[in-house]
Amino acid sequence: MNAVATPVTIHRALAAEESARADFYALLGRLFQDAPDNALLHLLSSAEPIPAEGDPRLAKAWQELVDASSAMDADAALEEYEALFGGVGKAAVSLYAGFYAGAAAVDHPRVRIRADLAGLGLAPRDDSPEPEDHFGGIFDAMRVLVGGGAGRGPATVQEQRRFFESHLQPAMGGFLRTLAAANGANYYRKVAALAAAFLAIETESFDLD
Amino acid sequence: MKTARMTNRRKFLLAAGLGGAGAAAALVTATTKTQGNQGEAPAVDKASGYRVTEHIEKYYKTTKV
Repeated sequence: MNAVATPVTIHRALAAEESARADFYALLGRLFQDAPDNALLHLLSSAEPIPAEGDPRLAKAWQELVDASSAMDADAALEEYEALFGGVGKAAVSLYAGFYAGAAAVDHPRVRIRADLAGLGLAPRDDSPEPEDHFGGIFDAMRVLVGGGAGRGPATVQEQRRFFESHLQPAMGGFLRTLAAANGANYYRKVAALAAAFLAIETESFDLD
Repeated sequence: MKTARMTNRRKFLLAAGLGGAGAAAALVTATTKTQGNQGEAPAVDKASGYRVTEHIEKYYKTTKV
């Protein structure tokens, strides 16, 4: 009998609102990393609405993304993604936090993010093709801090808050405003609205004692 | 102390509808992870769970017409 051969992952059950937060970060991170494929669009188009008695801005933004997802296909989404974020060095909308946070070379956001990620046990691989201040990565790091993953449990709310306020908050306003106003943003205008609504809730919740 | 702190924050998050949103977004997440990682397993850092995107690489691929 070998009862101990299986790796054991200990996960405390997340409260519903905490897994919802992790899910929002996962979804937004995914949408910033790459255009949605047909499977994701299909899932989103058939997703349940957020209860109307909740945050009206979040509920509206969610519904609009759900509706937009049913009118979108992967080819069109990819075309929009490339038009907005593609073109290395001359993208219409930068996906890098450093662009919005005012980056000094010595203390560039990605340098600080790398250090903080390492401190939280989330150092990316050395051969990562992506600088650390890519929003896809920052949202995904928040997903792991909120929901845990790959053997680590969720970070404390204080740790989440510190990462959020250090790396996401200084850049997110400029990024989401730029994205919402960009020529050619159609589907991603809805993504920006959902992100803004969700992150406003995050910002406020971190202030609560 | 800690419970009181969590309670206010929790109340706020639940009132915002995040508890109810869980099911919908989770469904999305479940598929997203499978989809997103398809064929790019080496980009997943198993030690940390920090997922590395390959969108630049994909970008180059898609621009090669």
